[in-house]
Amino acid sequence: MFTVRPLKPTFKSYLPPLQTDVKKSPHPPVKKLEATLLPGEIVVNEVNFVRKCIGAEKSHDDLWGKLICTNFKVSFVTHEALAQPRFQVSNRLLGEHDIPLACVDQVVTVNDAKGKKKVLGSNQKLKFNPSELVLYCKDFRIVRFSFDEAGPEGAKKVCLAIAHYSRPADPQLLFGFELIGTRYLDSTEDGLNGARPAGGSQTPLFACSSDWDREIKRTGAAEWRVCSVNQGYGVSPSLPEFFVVPASLADQDLRQYAEAFSGQRLPVWCWNHPNGSALTRMADITDPHQQKRLDQRICNAVIKSHPQRGDVHKADLDKNLPSIQEVHSSLVRLRHICVIDPFAETEEKWLSSVESSQWLDYVRTFLKHSCDVVYILEGLNASVILQEEEGRDLSCVVASLVQIMADPHFRSLSGFQSLVQKEWVMAGYRFLDRCNHLKKSDKEESPLFLLFLDCVWQLMNQYPSAFEFTETYLALLSDSMWVPVFSTFLFNGPKHHADTMHDFLEDKKITLGEGEELCLPPVWDWSQQLSVTDQALFNNPIYVGKAAPYAHNGAVKSFRRTKHKTWSSTLRGAPPFQTGWSSTLRGTPPALARNGLQGSPGTLPRRNSLAAQLKSDLFPVRDVPESPSERFARDWFSGPADPQGLLLPQLLPSHLALWRLYFLRWVPEAVIPRGGPVTAVHAVSQLAHEIETLQGRLRRYKGPPPGTPPPAEPSRVFFKAGSLSEPSPPPEFLSSSFPFSPVGNLCRPNLRGTPISKLLNGAKTWLSTETLAGETA
Amino acid sequence: METSGSMDSLGSKRSSSRQASVDSLSSSTSTSRSDRSAQTKPPSAMSSDSVSTSAELSPELKVRPKAQIKIPNECKEEPQLLPGETVVDIAKEVMYICPFRGPLRGTVNVTNYRLFFRCMDQEPVFVLDLPLGVVSRVEKIGGASSRGDVSYGLVCKDMRNLRFAHKQSEDALKKSIFEVLMKYAFPVSNGLPIFAFEYGQVFPENGWKVYDAIAEYKRQGIPNESWRVTKANDHYELCDTYPSSLAVPVNIPDEDIRRVAAFRAKGRIPVLSWIHPESQATVTRCSQPMVGVNGKRSKEDEKYLQAIMDANAQSHKLFIFDARPSVNAAANKMKGGGYESEDAYQNAELVFLDIHNIHVMRESLRKLKEVVYPNIEEPHWLSNLESTHWLEHIKLIMAGALRIADKVESGKTSVVVHCSDGWDRTAQLTSLSMLMLDGFYRTTRGFQVLLEKEWLSFGHRFQLRIGHGDKNHTDADRSPVFVQFIDCVWQMTRQFPAAFEFNENFLVTVLDHLYSGLFGTFLCNSEQQRVKEELPKRSMSLWSFINSQLEDFSNPLYVNYSNHVLFPVVSLRHLELWVGYYVRWNPRMRPQEPVHQRYKELLARRAELQRRVEELQREVTNRSASSSSERAGSPTRSITPVQTFV
Repeated sequence: MFTVRPLKPTFKSYLPPLQTDVKKSPHPPVKKLEATLLPGEIVVNEVNFVRKCIGAEKSHDDLWGKLICTNFKVSFVTHEALAQPRFQVSNRLLGEHDIPLACVDQVVTVNDAKGKKKVLGSNQKLKFNPSELVLYCKDFRIVRFSFDEAGPEGAKKVCLAIAHYSRPADPQLLFGFELIGTRYLDSTEDGLNGARPAGGSQTPLFACSSDWDREIKRTGAAEWRVCSVNQGYGVSPSLPEFFVVPASLADQDLRQYAEAFSGQRLPVWCWNHPNGSALTRMADITDPHQQKRLDQRICNAVIKSHPQRGDVHKADLDKNLPSIQEVHSSLVRLRHICVIDPFAETEEKWLSSVESSQWLDYVRTFLKHSCDVVYILEGLNASVILQEEEGRDLSCVVASLVQIMADPHFRSLSGFQSLVQKEWVMAGYRFLDRCNHLKKSDKEESPLFLLFLDCVWQLMNQYPSAFEFTETYLALLSDSMWVPVFSTFLFNGPKHHADTMHDFLEDKKITLGEGEELCLPPVWDWSQQLSVTDQALFNNPIYVGKAAPYAHNGAVKSFRRTKHKTWSSTLRGAPPFQTGWSSTLRGTPPALARNGLQGSPGTLPRRNSLAAQLKSDLFPVRDVPESPSERFARDWFSGPADPQGLLLPQLLPSHLALWRLYFLRWVPEAVIPRGGPVTAVHAVSQLAHEIETLQGRLRRYKGPPPGTPPPAEPSRVFFKAGSLSEPSPPPEFLSSSFPFSPVGNLCRPNLRGTPISKLLNGAKTWLSTETLAGETA
Repeated sequence: METSGSMDSLGSKRSSSRQASVDSLSSSTSTSRSDRSAQTKPPSAMSSDSVSTSAELSPELKVRPKAQIKIPNECKEEPQLLPGETVVDIAKEVMYICPFRGPLRGTVNVTNYRLFFRCMDQEPVFVLDLPLGVVSRVEKIGGASSRGDVSYGLVCKDMRNLRFAHKQSEDALKKSIFEVLMKYAFPVSNGLPIFAFEYGQVFPENGWKVYDAIAEYKRQGIPNESWRVTKANDHYELCDTYPSSLAVPVNIPDEDIRRVAAFRAKGRIPVLSWIHPESQATVTRCSQPMVGVNGKRSKEDEKYLQAIMDANAQSHKLFIFDARPSVNAAANKMKGGGYESEDAYQNAELVFLDIHNIHVMRESLRKLKEVVYPNIEEPHWLSNLESTHWLEHIKLIMAGALRIADKVESGKTSVVVHCSDGWDRTAQLTSLSMLMLDGFYRTTRGFQVLLEKEWLSFGHRFQLRIGHGDKNHTDADRSPVFVQFIDCVWQMTRQFPAAFEFNENFLVTVLDHLYSGLFGTFLCNSEQQRVKEELPKRSMSLWSFINSQLEDFSNPLYVNYSNHVLFPVVSLRHLELWVGYYVRWNPRMRPQEPVHQRYKELLARRAELQRRVEELQREVTNRSASSSSERAGSPTRSITPVQTFV
């Protein structure tokens, strides 16, 4: 896995390979090349003597093997090993060179001789014999295969099969169903009949009322209740069967109100701040006649549920945040400059290209907006209603970010997973459409979930000890979207999940026995994909939290309840907050400024005449008045951050960074050998492991606790310490891309690091006559 | 500004945990001392009136000797003076126009070392503590107004501008405190000594002893069969900007060296900077050859370079890296300089590295300052940053150094590096490539050796480039060449967070004292001048201060890469603006939560566990010893069978 793969023991010539040797003759394989298949997986088409391109310029590193298209993946099997060892985290569901069909974004066939190129769709014809196949993947990989020695018909068939099978017509055709169906039918008495519970994962799924009850109790939301009006999805097709509402609203009222909301999406509770203010989300009210009255009722109910009867603020997300299409086209642009455009060409304008993709801008906007919500909840002690047309997209991002900033529980691994479950999966985020698994409509496609993960990464980057999990976890979670076997990412909501499942059982004529349930597993049982050893990659060795077994001095810290309580009293008398927020009780929302900077006059700094008079261009004085939430943030920043308390992101544009591990991991030129942030993790991990070892010794000295023998806990750290007190340098396989490897991805020379010559393309840009004068003067 | 109404009153609620007060170097609060020191750093390292993290960046605070800490007077308006520091003027009712908080009224003290402003209206008390050495210019802004106010602007070398105003004095003869300040901010122009000569602090370490040229040559294995150390420059007669001991090829006699010196600009002959311990490939540095428009040649110089190539048996080639863009190198022929022609130098390959001159770099940093101070414009931050070209310059310098390191390490080929005079870009390139090639220079002391050697002893003209105590702020010789180098080092520490023994604070401290004028380290232009000025006798070395409290400057993540060569990725994808330095005055800027802090906690935890394990081990050993001796007598004693790990 991460051990250095020994080089192929072949005779190594020290002479450069002859030019005629470019096409290495394909040796007849000794053993037959076979794809490794999962239950229910079938081979659709295959072709032999295919060359997988490893380098773009030289082909002697390329691998020979068989290209196979199954109903799950594009598989490339070979007896050869990569000339250069690579360190790719291995997935139990996939082989080293495999790509799940759901991960394939574009299938491009090329005929070099004829100079033809075609992007293949489903059920299309191909009029030429392809000499090359290039797969553009959703996880930013680009993989190329060459057919110069393969049978032209076979190659064509495989290409068409890949194009066809990567666009399933129906969610039931997604491989996960085949997998559980086969497992169920094949199962005998081994107990593993596919109908298994949520596996080893302890992540609450929020599909039953008890999970909600626990969450209400955990956050102390006494005035809120779990309602079951939507059982059987009778009220809203996109809300979960159980959700939480103000205790003062009766089921009868809810049924009546529901009709007025877009998608019948009633206001639902997300989370309670320890001070009693609540975070809720709802859809727009579509019936104009009812709007005012309903608004009033909802707000009253939310206020009633606040222990201090705190005010309620509404945040109109559609007006303040970019649309899902804007986010999508932003990622398309970013992807272009990161992996598609040639490395050296994008170099000169890199910063402005990143800026013009607007991705970081959007990341910042979402973080900023979430900060403003946190300010209302925490600083104003008021409840917040996130309002969005359907309340199923932007609200997911904002609701989860607010909770991550305000509640350390969601910064633990299980807390984070439950958050995704609660605010995305159960809240009806259209994973199927947004991921475009069926490749039906590009308009519906949007990488909001990735944007959310990027926002989390920004927080993690700024507060490295506040999260139990690592950026590797975030990247692997994102990659799991493209492995279509997890219920988490395959549906447009809980009802869609249930309906699809129902249809599937009917079509397959499966009758479940008493108490039996057949379902797709959620992604949270990570042993489906990774070995226990590799799961240690998720653990952040410097996490300060309840779950950290080391370096946590004694007492378990509890959630700081009243750390910033002073705010509410200070601002009580302040004029209504007018930066894109509306307190519905004080009238209709004003038009919202994008930057939300027109503060009320009361907050304008009044400078005395001297200062005003002294304004000059040389010494600009800050003109833009601070909004109360900015002031709140500034005050918070003046103190030390508590990793187990409230966290606010630093939003200066200079402090937001590109998530390099995610966006640049497949780019060979951008890999720092034996460098990158992971080398710091490596150093800390060794120390953490030593501490684990010492703790183990202590336990042994003290003897086993009476009764049970101590369970042999697997180590939580991935990098083990070699010898005590002697930290070892980062091993050869560490790089800034770890645990991913760009080797074999992208049609690029497989150079380690940057080809230096490409970085020196001259200093033409800023050479001025003044420069020359300076040089010669 | 709602003076002390809004944010400050709010801020005060949490003043006990305040870290950094807006843009001050330090701030003080009225909370109890023990309280604060518990949150920040041990009191020993703290100044008496500072609790801020940004105070760590303030040069003079950290040099306060431990013994000097007194019980602070909470209402005190004066700074705590350093040994040798005296107050020269005090003015009350001065307005500091803070770009972040608006005007603040307070008292200004000017000493022979610093400007100290303290605003008493604010809670917590706002303090601005500025070494006068960072002041680049002082200017009176606008004419006297009807109200009789005058305003002064202080442009600083450390990426900020400060503005003050006060009432016009009734007494026309009385000078404004800022006129007084000018005298002390520019001592050299006013016939006064730089404060470093008056600073009377004593440190347990003597930083002047960090670098010994002969010892460093010896560490590299020089002299050896191919290289010798010559005495030709013992009295700086060969080259007055070079150090006295030089390493040259063994078979070139001193008289030939003199002829080579005549052919190289300012007599800066090619000399050895670094030798590869295995391949014997070398990094040598020099100035441009005096080729001129007529293409002059020097047989001795050609023979000399041949000797450098011959000293390395692994390669029959020599790479000459000319740091300049080729156009500029060619333009230099007009005034007698130029570059090596490939006809004259057999087996040598000339490469231009396209790095621009000091004027371009100065202009780039000036633009950068506009972009980052006082505020960062949000919508176009990245394109604004791009338009300063600062990171692009950084990239070209690092790319040049990388090519040098790559040639030496992978190509086993010797290289000659020069620019025009060989004291700016050349110093950047040789020192950076040596940092990549040799793990020794990545230790704290090794880095000090590197600076002493490649920058100070080889005559980077610090006095001229920085303009210590000189009021002539438009001097075209000023340039941030050294800042750029430290920035490159910081970029490397970002890419290899565990490969350097020192931390970011160390780099910031070096830059702070580049300007502060507190230490003698960066004074003068050459070794010859330093000897003449008797700097080691008359001033303190920055390294004395740093090496006396290494703890503050060490990177706990440091692991020895066991002489692994670092090849950074010199792409804008991985280069970043050093916000911890350039954006540090912005009050919204807070140092990121340091992994280091957590790491130190883990270290303490480990030490604690080790202690407990050892204790138990002893206990068990004792008990088993006694139990075996008394086995017969006490059969009931139950000891958990434990293995001993000794």
